Amino acid sequence: MKPFRRKGEECVAHLDAAEAGIVGLLLDQLEQLLTDAEDADDEVVARLLPEGHRGDPRLAAEYRDLTRTSLVAGKSDDLATVRATLPTGGGTLRLDADQAGAWLRTTNDLRLALGTRLGISADTEPPEELVSESDQQLAVYYWLTAVQGSLVDSLAAGRAGRR
Amino acid sequence: MEDNDLDRPWVTVVWDDPVNLMTYVTYVFQELFGYDEAKATELMLQVHHEGKAVVSSGPRERMEHDTSRLHAYGLWASYQKDS
Repeated sequence: MKPFRRKGEECVAHLDAAEAGIVGLLLDQLEQLLTDAEDADDEVVARLLPEGHRGDPRLAAEYRDLTRTSLVAGKSDDLATVRATLPTGGGTLRLDADQAGAWLRTTNDLRLALGTRLGISADTEPPEELVSESDQQLAVYYWLTAVQGSLVDSLAAGRAGRR
Repeated sequence: MEDNDLDRPWVTVVWDDPVNLMTYVTYVFQELFGYDEAKATELMLQVHHEGKAVVSSGPRERMEHDTSRLHAYGLWASYQKDS
């Protein structure tokens, strides 16, 4: 991977074939979660679509009724944009502002989903060796963190440039 | 008193979580609320160190809306009556 850099109006990165393949698989899993979100009693869904109000079940239900459909639709649109711009087989990624926003939110959702499943805490460290499946998932989590981190930095650089 | 209760403004609160990057949270506060970098960074650090921060206040409907905009970015937010 070459992390995201700012090039004029675009954010540009390079993914190799294996990395693009992993992102594709994670997108499939996220899409499945969002499809089932309505009736899923799942810790990941609860983190991706949190309660709007804590402590008052009536207000929490009202918030869910008001927002869940559009939140799921927004996440699904972002996911479709990421899928459409993902260089299958590896290659260069060139994102305009809207596409970069979709990548930003979707890589965050992927990290939230993985982080919740893996029980990430403030003290979690990257794996030193890749022995178990959870080591590998943790490595993917930290790889996504690097991807998203470089995208945030390029977008922030673009905003600073406009001032 | 129910009447006084209605006058109390509502607030949107962002809670600390171990996944969201500090740079990302700062970026989202600027993007959604138009805060400058200093203000956005200050709020992000408050979330990080104190576990939560109030990021906006106003009528209930607007706080519901702000909460949903934060949820669209994956931040851990909720709205409540100001205490």
